[in-house]
Amino acid sequence: MITFAKTLLAAIVGVALGLTATWLAVERGYGFGAVSSGPWTGWPKTGSREADPYARAVIARSGEVPLGLAEGLSFMARTDDTGALLDPACDYVLSDPIPPARYWTITAMTPHGALIDNAAGHFGLTSAEIVRDMRGKFEITVSRQARAGNWLPLGDTSEFVLVLRLYDTPLSSASSSIGITPMPQLKRGRCA
Amino acid sequence: MSLRETFISNLPWIAGTAIIAGITHITSIMAMPYLAPKDAFARLEPAAPLDKMAVLPQGVPGQTLMPFEDPALVVGVCRYDLNVAPLRLRGALGGDGLLLFSFHNRFGTTFYSMTDKGALRGRLDVLVLTPEQLEAVEAFDPEDELPQELRLVGPTKEGFVLIRSISPERGNLAEAKARIAQVGCEAEGNR
Repeated sequence: MITFAKTLLAAIVGVALGLTATWLAVERGYGFGAVSSGPWTGWPKTGSREADPYARAVIARSGEVPLGLAEGLSFMARTDDTGALLDPACDYVLSDPIPPARYWTITAMTPHGALIDNAAGHFGLTSAEIVRDMRGKFEITVSRQARAGNWLPLGDTSEFVLVLRLYDTPLSSASSSIGITPMPQLKRGRCA
Repeated sequence: MSLRETFISNLPWIAGTAIIAGITHITSIMAMPYLAPKDAFARLEPAAPLDKMAVLPQGVPGQTLMPFEDPALVVGVCRYDLNVAPLRLRGALGGDGLLLFSFHNRFGTTFYSMTDKGALRGRLDVLVLTPEQLEAVEAFDPEDELPQELRLVGPTKEGFVLIRSISPERGNLAEAKARIAQVGCEAEGNR
């Protein structure tokens, strides 16, 4: 009887642990092969034949179609340069440098990849829209309030992430060098 | 019995639990692509007729077909079923802007991707087919000539191709849509 109870317990606990590990694995990132630089993290192999079983599980569950490795690279920032979680009550300033790419875009999204409604009605900025200074430098302000210059509006949300996409970038073919490529700075400004 | 003795006497059970946990974890990860009800293919299927180019509606908050899509891009989709016919993707590429192509199997995994720069002399000509269909096509190839098309073997019979077109300035979706319209996809007839 005791043996039976122990077998049952081992089975139940084992299955529960295994499923918990699965849930944690698909909730946090896209498996192995993450490349990071400052607050930016990308999973370039997710959009290729070499996607590992974890990456395949994550995209099957979320329904997203990751950017193919030859199309470009996508990076996500959950924190600022200091490692503090992005807080929608604060302003953030994103500035040079940006890796070479034919086009790039920056978008504010919920951590699950949904667009965030805002009064201005736009959700991202592209490299073609950015206003640069005389030296060719730029700054983008992420804020709930309208800001002069390059403004990325933030709607009413409790949390957000920034997604940087580099389209048709030479970086793709040398994904091992991503970690040492200078990525945009992300500094916290005033908080409401 | 001390704690240590209890632990040692139950060691086989603890090990058994760990093994069951490991098997459950690996099995559920491997099974996820087969079981996930709302994967990319399931989301795209109602919006994408077979072997026809369909431009997806632009995402708005609370109403996006797929998560993590860039709002600056217009997305066209071409669904294929190689049981019915190979898929031919063809068009003239040129002008400004940027077109991105990615080829996906039934589970959403990318098996090939390229940009408009990968087109041969400004023309795109891609054939997606099964290994058997590829053999049949190659049988008709002239011997002294390289094929003028890119031939991709689909890892699964069903799948889809995404064509993403950038709209660099807000409110200029028409141009991005026109670039997608330059590319057509159709079922390849028997040859």
